[in-house]
Amino acid sequence: MRLYDIVALVTPDLTDEDAQKVAAEYRKILSDGGAEIVKDETWGRRRLAFPILRKREAYYHYFQVSAEPAIVAETERRMKLSDQVLRHLAVRADLELKRAAKMATRQREKAARRPPRPPAPMPPAVPAEAPPPIEKGEIS
Amino acid sequence: MSPAPRGGTRSAAASRDGKTGGRKKFFVRRRKVCKFCAEKLEYVDWKDVKLLQSFIPERGKILPRRISGTCALHQRKLQTAIKRARSIALIPYATD
Repeated sequence: MRLYDIVALVTPDLTDEDAQKVAAEYRKILSDGGAEIVKDETWGRRRLAFPILRKREAYYHYFQVSAEPAIVAETERRMKLSDQVLRHLAVRADLELKRAAKMATRQREKAARRPPRPPAPMPPAVPAEAPPPIEKGEIS
Repeated sequence: MSPAPRGGTRSAAASRDGKTGGRKKFFVRRRKVCKFCAEKLEYVDWKDVKLLQSFIPERGKILPRRISGTCALHQRKLQTAIKRARSIALIPYATD
């Protein structure tokens, strides 16, 4: 099982509900194939950074799934064929996350190995001196 | 093997740059620090549009390392993150 990030851009010609239905379709394909859905987020209707098929907006739907590669490939294939999905992206997420976790632990170990830093010498305590009171009328 | 002239030219170049040495410093160059190292962000998330946007100038190109100060490792990760975000239209390929 591998962790994947999958994003689908659903055409803005549909209503909110229909877009949800399209997302539900892929959710079904994934879960039927034995994928475990970790995250399931609707980002909603967003403006595209550039037009895709003359469309300036799209419904974004994001899945994070733990699945076998074959199921993800199948989902991608269907997204590619679908007219409702303008664009999709499926990438592995576990490699990067694993690496990040490893780096974090290594850093922690390194910090632990380093002898504890002696407490920074405090600057000599200077009693807060009140400014000398200005005596009025003495000099003049 | 003659380190002396090389060292000489280098120090001259350095002073001209205003980095180190030199009698006249025109400006003190602020040391650039990799944002990801400083904040201990190991994972560059391609979904984080706000973060990526900070590495994309007007034109839509990827900000070079020499300007942003990002370390080599994180620049590579940033690069893939930006390219992924571009492919699903979160970020433009180019603007004018």
